[in-house]
Amino acid sequence: MNQVSRRHAMGLLAGAATLPVLGAPALAANSKITVGALAFTSHAASFVAFERGYFAEAGLDVEFKFFQAAQPMAVAIASGDADYAVTAISGGLISLAEKGATKVIGGALSEEKGIDGQKILVSDAAFKAGVTTPKALDGKAWGVTQAGSSFHYMGAKIAAAEGISLKYTPLQKTGAVIGALKSGQIDGWSIVPHIAKPLAKSGAVHIIGDVADYIPNYQVTTVFTSAANAANERAKTQAFLAAFSKGADDFNAALVDKTTSADEAEAMVKLIHKYVYTDREYEKAKPSIVNGAMRINKGAALNMSSVNDQLSWFKSEGLVKDSISMDMLVDGSYVSTT
Amino acid sequence: MAHPTILGAGMDLKIEQLSHSYDTVNVLSDISLQVPSGQIMCVVGPSGCGKSTLLRMIGGLERPSAGQVLQSGDVPPDCLNPLTFVFQDFALLPWRSVAGNIELVLEDHPLDGAARAARVADVLARTNLSDFAKALPRQLSGGMKQRVAIARAMAVHPAVMLMDEPLSALDAQTRELLIDDLVGLWMRAPFTAVYVTHNLAEAVRLGHQIVVLSRRPGRVREVMHLSTPLDQRSMADPGLQAAQERLWALMRDEALAADKELAHA
Amino acid sequence: MHDAPRPVPFRGGGFRPQRLRGVGVAVFVVLILLIEWGTRAGWISSLTLPRPSDVVATLVQLWKSGLFFQHVTPSLTRLAVGSAMGVLAGVAVGVMIGLFSLARAGLVPLVAALFPIPKIALLPLFVIWFGIDEGSKYALIALGTFTPTVVATFGAVDNVDRTLVRMGQSFGLRWWSIVRKIVLPGALPGILSGLRISLSIGIILLVAAEMLGAQYGIGAYILEAGSLYDLERLFAGVVILSSLGVLVSWLIAQLEKRLLIWRS
Repeated sequence: MNQVSRRHAMGLLAGAATLPVLGAPALAANSKITVGALAFTSHAASFVAFERGYFAEAGLDVEFKFFQAAQPMAVAIASGDADYAVTAISGGLISLAEKGATKVIGGALSEEKGIDGQKILVSDAAFKAGVTTPKALDGKAWGVTQAGSSFHYMGAKIAAAEGISLKYTPLQKTGAVIGALKSGQIDGWSIVPHIAKPLAKSGAVHIIGDVADYIPNYQVTTVFTSAANAANERAKTQAFLAAFSKGADDFNAALVDKTTSADEAEAMVKLIHKYVYTDREYEKAKPSIVNGAMRINKGAALNMSSVNDQLSWFKSEGLVKDSISMDMLVDGSYVSTT
Repeated sequence: MAHPTILGAGMDLKIEQLSHSYDTVNVLSDISLQVPSGQIMCVVGPSGCGKSTLLRMIGGLERPSAGQVLQSGDVPPDCLNPLTFVFQDFALLPWRSVAGNIELVLEDHPLDGAARAARVADVLARTNLSDFAKALPRQLSGGMKQRVAIARAMAVHPAVMLMDEPLSALDAQTRELLIDDLVGLWMRAPFTAVYVTHNLAEAVRLGHQIVVLSRRPGRVREVMHLSTPLDQRSMADPGLQAAQERLWALMRDEALAADKELAHA
Repeated sequence: MHDAPRPVPFRGGGFRPQRLRGVGVAVFVVLILLIEWGTRAGWISSLTLPRPSDVVATLVQLWKSGLFFQHVTPSLTRLAVGSAMGVLAGVAVGVMIGLFSLARAGLVPLVAALFPIPKIALLPLFVIWFGIDEGSKYALIALGTFTPTVVATFGAVDNVDRTLVRMGQSFGLRWWSIVRKIVLPGALPGILSGLRISLSIGIILLVAAEMLGAQYGIGAYILEAGSLYDLERLFAGVVILSSLGVLVSWLIAQLEKRLLIWRS
């Protein structure tokens, strides 16, 4: 009896704590939603919104579903196994949008001058053979997870800017790409800084450039959902984006702009550590998490020109159908677009 | 010289106190026999008496636990395989033609092509198989297959033919025809043979001596000698009838007891 | 009270597969027409299945653009080289196991341990050992075809009629003659039917082998289509792959017809 009543009391307390918070459009009842995520720092906004109760305040009962790569997430949204997800724009996501299954509704991770962004890496062997600038990658093997992945896009943009050609080598998973790069099976790759920096420190690979120099204002990841959610579940979708943005604000303040106290930054890293690098102890995970902090767009704003550029590239490579338009891919009615 | 040999000329076989056991089961016990050259010795006995085992030991395919098999006298000069088997289930290679099956046993010997072809043609002619040289075994009846096996055995000009129930897989009519064939072959060129069978009629038609083995462990119960020339033996011959009845009388109880024995696990 | 004589009722029918020509093709045609109709009418969404006519158009496009051979040639090469290595080694090891007790005692447990390993799991390891280019792909297909070939071969050698071997021995044939002229031809039917399984596994592994570091190849094409969620290309690739399976099966049937003419 005692036990039950105590738990009851705690529940009441927790409920009371949320009461005074206003702002998020409240939904009639707790809506159960599934959010797809990768265990990366770049997905921190969702984790923060969940841990700090922003989802619950918005009346959303969130359950995370974790994935190994970006493209399967798009398929999960299409099949209804996940409601919202944050990931890079991939060929699969665009194809599914063309079939009327998915919609991009907001922006998340962005490259920004002055903030550490994605790095261009080369293997030790290639570095020693003189590949010390991106231009020297001409004719070299460039690691990608799959054709039409963001790595493919980045490689292509770098190649176009430098006037070189790359040999794209699909390896399915980021882990396989890392392994191939370390052992010198491939020559170059680009990846978020929290993965790039520790690799470079080990001496097995070398950083030779920044992606931001080639793709300024690159909208790396976007928030997306099923076309049905975007069209018919406005309240729920708005609630999700609002809570997600609050999480993003906390994250940016603590780790990107560093405007908060050191304690708050510490608390933020601890929160993220619950999801990211869980297999490492906190002290070892902390630098990786701090290094991986890239800006998550305020208010989930979406950089339309970057999305448009990515879409055009996918079309020009013949990876997606020519017939697909921005309207099919993006529902710009939720967030501010630029 | 059309038929280059008299099969078995000059080689005798002597079996001395041969015994054999598998693990703890005695199969053969103290067998001593003599196979004179140019004669057919039939071995009969109830099933499981070890008569096929005995034959394999004579041919060197199995090693006896005790005793030995001795060969004496000369092997004919052109003999390629002194002790040659004819098997119950023919043992023809299904992927080789009739001629190919006969060539098989000549290929490992230093014969030139012409000599090999001559031997094949010779045995095919003697077994009336010349027209079937190119046929595959699956196209042949059981009787024809056994004729091929016999032709194959003769191709190596053996000193002794070891025949392990060669007619048991055939139906009664075919068996009669083949007995006639064997008799004809022997009359034209007498060969030495040890002929294992459970069929008493075959034994009295083909055997110069008939060895009766007891049930397991097999011992020699009796050796019967028949002097009637092979080509004069017929099913109606009262002498042969009597011999067969006597063999059956010797074997009947043994066969009955053997029949009731549990199979050895 | 006797009834009139009536015929004995027949009750011996059935249980005898009969050759019905064209039924298999008809099933395919009906199924494809049904999907075509469903995708056109809309009761099959474009997310569920591609329109068959679009798949055909994709195949035609693939052929016209010359990309067909750009994908098929490397795949066929990988399949041919990899399975040739695997099958030859498998037959050799299988025959050894069949003939030598020492090889049997030593290798059968090893093969049993290798057989259930999902070869795909070893691909990253092979990349390190044999390089990300063709070496690791050959190795994967070779290992995948090796184990079933070994098992089929030593089973086939075991099943060679021992009386034929005894016959060979009784005629004083040399050991090598017995192996070459009796054991190997006798094991051939078993080896060939094992080959069907081995090569099917080889085709399955082709897709796995092309997961890592392949720009061209049917497997790479299918994987790319899958990651792009391009169902037309995905199915076009699957059609090519299953045609390859049918082709291989037909080739083995021809081989059997020629080599096993002696079977009844």
